[in-house]
Amino acid sequence: MLEGTGAGVLVTGGTGYFGARLVQALRARGARLAAGQPVRHRKGKAGMRAAPLKVRIESLGVYLPETVLTTAALMDRCRRRPRLDLETITGIRERRVAVGEHALELAVHSAERALALSRYRAEDLDAVICTSISKHHRDGEFTFEPATAVLVRKAIGASRALVFDVVNACAGMLNGIAVLQALIRTGVVRNGMVVSGEQNLPLAESATREIRHSLDRQLAALTLGDAGAALILDAATDARHGIHHLDLVTGAKHDHYCRSLPSPRGSGGILLTKARGLQRKGAEHFPVYLKRALDATGWSIADLQHVIPHQVSVRAVRQGVKALARYFGCEMPDIFLCNAETCGNTTTTSHFVALHEFMLSGRVNPGDNLLLVSGASGIVISHATMTLDDLPERYRALWGSGAGVAS
Amino acid sequence: MTRVRIGSAGVSLPAWWQWRKGSVAHAVTAGLRCLAASHHRSADVGVLVSAGIYRDGHVAEPAIAAYIQHRLGINIEFQGRATLSFDLLNGGCGMLNAAQVVGAMLQSGQIEAGMVVAGEANSDRRPDPSSAVTRSGAALLLDLSPRAGTGFGAFAFRTHEGDGDLFTAVVSLAEPRGHLLIRRHARLEEAWLDHAAAAVDEALEREGLTCDRIDLVIPAQISTGFLSRLPAVIGVPAAKVVNFTANLQDTGSTSVFIAWHRLCAERRPSAGTRVLFLVFGSGLTVGAAIYTV
Repeated sequence: MLEGTGAGVLVTGGTGYFGARLVQALRARGARLAAGQPVRHRKGKAGMRAAPLKVRIESLGVYLPETVLTTAALMDRCRRRPRLDLETITGIRERRVAVGEHALELAVHSAERALALSRYRAEDLDAVICTSISKHHRDGEFTFEPATAVLVRKAIGASRALVFDVVNACAGMLNGIAVLQALIRTGVVRNGMVVSGEQNLPLAESATREIRHSLDRQLAALTLGDAGAALILDAATDARHGIHHLDLVTGAKHDHYCRSLPSPRGSGGILLTKARGLQRKGAEHFPVYLKRALDATGWSIADLQHVIPHQVSVRAVRQGVKALARYFGCEMPDIFLCNAETCGNTTTTSHFVALHEFMLSGRVNPGDNLLLVSGASGIVISHATMTLDDLPERYRALWGSGAGVAS
Repeated sequence: MTRVRIGSAGVSLPAWWQWRKGSVAHAVTAGLRCLAASHHRSADVGVLVSAGIYRDGHVAEPAIAAYIQHRLGINIEFQGRATLSFDLLNGGCGMLNAAQVVGAMLQSGQIEAGMVVAGEANSDRRPDPSSAVTRSGAALLLDLSPRAGTGFGAFAFRTHEGDGDLFTAVVSLAEPRGHLLIRRHARLEEAWLDHAAAAVDEALEREGLTCDRIDLVIPAQISTGFLSRLPAVIGVPAAKVVNFTANLQDTGSTSVFIAWHRLCAERRPSAGTRVLFLVFGSGLTVGAAIYTV
């Protein structure tokens, strides 16, 4: 029926119904090729397509508020102090909290820092995507309209930017990157900013008022910290650098493990988490997706210089490393970056607060291969593989190097 | 580049007997109708974006899209095919923004089909009288158009943050369960009309068209007075502007695609018809998109 090898196939005839259908399909494909028209490839033949345009992190800005709140001081604020040592359990010693500032200011300060490092001016930005969960722009209020991105655009003067908010719990910034990546690849925009300002202190304050016992679902709110982070993305000029692979998947069957909403008992917002179940489900599924992300990039664990997990807590990061060791059947190298001890869980911004700290300390360097891992309520599992260009050098040159966390 | 088309649409219309139906339930009803009208299976949906503004219980986390994905039964487990769900918020422009984003994901080869849904409802037990939201839902299933030249063309969004205070919606956390407060300034419609022409002109310019090449304008159904003044502002004859305001209220982010769905039900636009979608949101933002049937 089919003769010839390689690209050339001579269609000579078919036997039976399926043979005839195959011949018909091959003839149609040959006709399309001869006419210079695109041929639709089946799934799994990505190698036959042109490699998609690669997007890179052109600039990063991180803002950490100055006020430090220790876990011990936060526990002392609890009306009914739980009988557990939260610092020992989570490994979180302290976090930064925004006093006299709101989520919007955190986002704006980080956006200004990203612009200070960038070759783009605010008016050059084609898009501003805000991914904050906490939209506390005034005391005792949660803003739905206008979009926070509009307010950031106004504050930084990005007068021609396309603006909207993307909200996907703690995976928000990676989700924002995925959206902006698609817009850059299709030429809708040339560059853009993904920005987030997380003011989680109101959730922690509600928890100090409402926690009743050591197994209370609001305990996770006491692990949160405040921060702002902003990225500027554009098309990579060197194919070796940039984001190689980014995937996000929602297992919506597990949407009940973590939610944030106004308190039914009093004022303020609350965060309700089934922490153990969330971590168990995450640990059960994320290694598979991590392996897929590495495979799609053509990397193995040995190719990675750093893994930045979502900074839920020091203990959660260690549990994640153990889950990977079980999955891969070998010990994991010391490549997992964790700054939860000093910053707590800054939700959407946590990966980039960690990147900020470890770039300043000199641990993350140009040319390093990074894997970002995120688990968020939904449950959303996300992985991003990337190779940094000279960003760490430029970052240190602007903000100064040192072991400490610069605000 | 291959264009993106609306494969199917579904709506959940406002109805007085559904006065307790929440935003997620409306979005799910619309989503199920949309999937039933599509040739795609639910498992084909690679991305689900929820563009609804107001949320049941004023939930901030997880994404409302995850709840909708769960109730639509789209790849809800971590096995087999995968779906990403997230929320995109931009007031009344959200669904059009989401259509552009899903379109970009389709065109960059990340997904085979994508869904944009929205549900609107004020879930307060005793809603503020000035913060009424007409309960509704709308859903679109988008895929790559099989015919060249059909589908979404140029998008244009013009934001005028100087007028941002004319439309705000906040949840006051001072009382238990929160309280939605929507504030619309009396000058809001005037400001939208002031900015409409710029967005339309930008979309037409990007598409290389002039106003007379547009066959139909489908705007968000803001009000009868608003739509009666719109044709003069954007330079299109009133007969081309789809106006259902006599029996269809403004439903926020869902409004424009509820109007599209009703138009298709009454008289399906013939092939080649050029449609201009026009949306108005907080910010203030006016969005325009050209769509060829």
